Amino acid sequence: MCDLFALSASRSHTAAASLPLFAVRGRANVHGWGIGFFRNSTPVVEKSGEKVFTDGRLHGSFERLARVVDSPIIVAHIRYKSSGQVDECHAHPFALDFWGQSWIFAHNGKAPAIEPYLSRHQPVLEARSDSARTMEFLRDFFLEAEPRRPHAPFIQILKEALVRLLQEYPGEYNFLLTNGRVLWAFTNHRQFLLLKGSRKLEEALLLTTIDEGLSPEDWKRITAGPGSGGKILVIAGGDLLHLEDLILSGG
Amino acid sequence: MCELFAMSAGHHFTAHEYLPPFADRARANISGWGIGFFRNGTVLIEKSCEGIFTEDMLHDSFRRLSRVIDSRIILAHIRCPKSGHQKESHAQPLTDHFLDHNWLFISKVESPKILTYQSPRPLMAEELLAARVFEFVRDEMESGLTSRPRQSLYQVLALGCKKLIASYPGRYIFFLANETVLFAFLNHSQILTYQDPKAMGEALVVTTTGELTADPDNWSAFAQQDPARGQILIISGADLLYLGHL
Repeated sequence: MCDLFALSASRSHTAAASLPLFAVRGRANVHGWGIGFFRNSTPVVEKSGEKVFTDGRLHGSFERLARVVDSPIIVAHIRYKSSGQVDECHAHPFALDFWGQSWIFAHNGKAPAIEPYLSRHQPVLEARSDSARTMEFLRDFFLEAEPRRPHAPFIQILKEALVRLLQEYPGEYNFLLTNGRVLWAFTNHRQFLLLKGSRKLEEALLLTTIDEGLSPEDWKRITAGPGSGGKILVIAGGDLLHLEDLILSGG
Repeated sequence: MCELFAMSAGHHFTAHEYLPPFADRARANISGWGIGFFRNGTVLIEKSCEGIFTEDMLHDSFRRLSRVIDSRIILAHIRCPKSGHQKESHAQPLTDHFLDHNWLFISKVESPKILTYQSPRPLMAEELLAARVFEFVRDEMESGLTSRPRQSLYQVLALGCKKLIASYPGRYIFFLANETVLFAFLNHSQILTYQDPKAMGEALVVTTTGELTADPDNWSAFAQQDPARGQILIISGADLLYLGHL
């Protein structure tokens, strides 16, 4: 199973302490890695199909990027493939434009039902995987909801998209989606662990799927409970702004 | 009544297209004005106890500041004569540091009873409705997150607003912002939001006055009838992220 990491702060921050720990604790994922962030509203993604950890050492580029990448929101992914090939193109994060801005997306889950999904819009992602199709599905839904934009809150469109996604393409979804200012997280399986104000790592909000967190501190575990269609987290500027259960029809 | 304005953008932005028409809409208010914004996480506030208009002339400083200030979030307030003494210290925005952020606050309030609120950490000794409301909301958010640290900012703000209108019934509209996020609360009247259709994704304008542009179809109204309830909008960048009903 892949693993996810995100850092969110009100100003630019590096994840020099937490990213290497994330990679070490997620080293069982051997099918690539990626780091995404924004520079002046433009997504920047560095990724690789190589192992993040080999022979007791972190991948050299991952280690250097962890020291250097400096942004209010940083997203990282370590891949254990459940769909698609092992190469750089299939590593996460992915980037697409919708809702008048650019987005970075990283996914951890298993949703074979969505692999045949054919996007109605361009561009499409090169990767042939459930994760790439999931991001295209969300992009398509938001593009078609664009006329409702001035009045409909983003979360309302996202919830409608997720309900449709889970009805038409049931599966295990766990993703991070960011425009560089706000980080949206969703899970309907596994968990997110969240820590704010770490004394051992960065003084930002940290989020990961790693079971034990990244430090011996009071990580808050967020899971979708019985009866929930999933948990939606809204994070910005180092704060958990909102936390909500997805209600599926009949749920 | 006082009038409120906010602009939230995905990157540093000026509100020069919107602040002068906002001032024009609120020109009947003669008791002062203020503009607040953020620079590198620090709050900067320029305010005055002078009228926003003199005869037909927009206040010179307000006009120049409108052109010059650029920030991801800009708040402006024009003060009505009913708000008490005409002093610069009474002009808004107000500011305070709590929950690890510098915050800006502007409000239009009709709730005389809130003046009896005694905060353990008063912002100012003077009788000022806006100060008492800001103190109440801040104190509730702080105590909410202290007693239940697993809550979200929205949850503690919503609980604080419920308590505010239950304990001190009245008419409230306020905008509360840090360098990243803008919360707008109302329990009466309406607030309007606007996105320039030519620049979707650039900036979102929020105001209590009427429309500030000549394209009324691009304005969205969020109206609240029952003052015993309320709405909270969460805005970041140019996006309305969430609309919560209390």
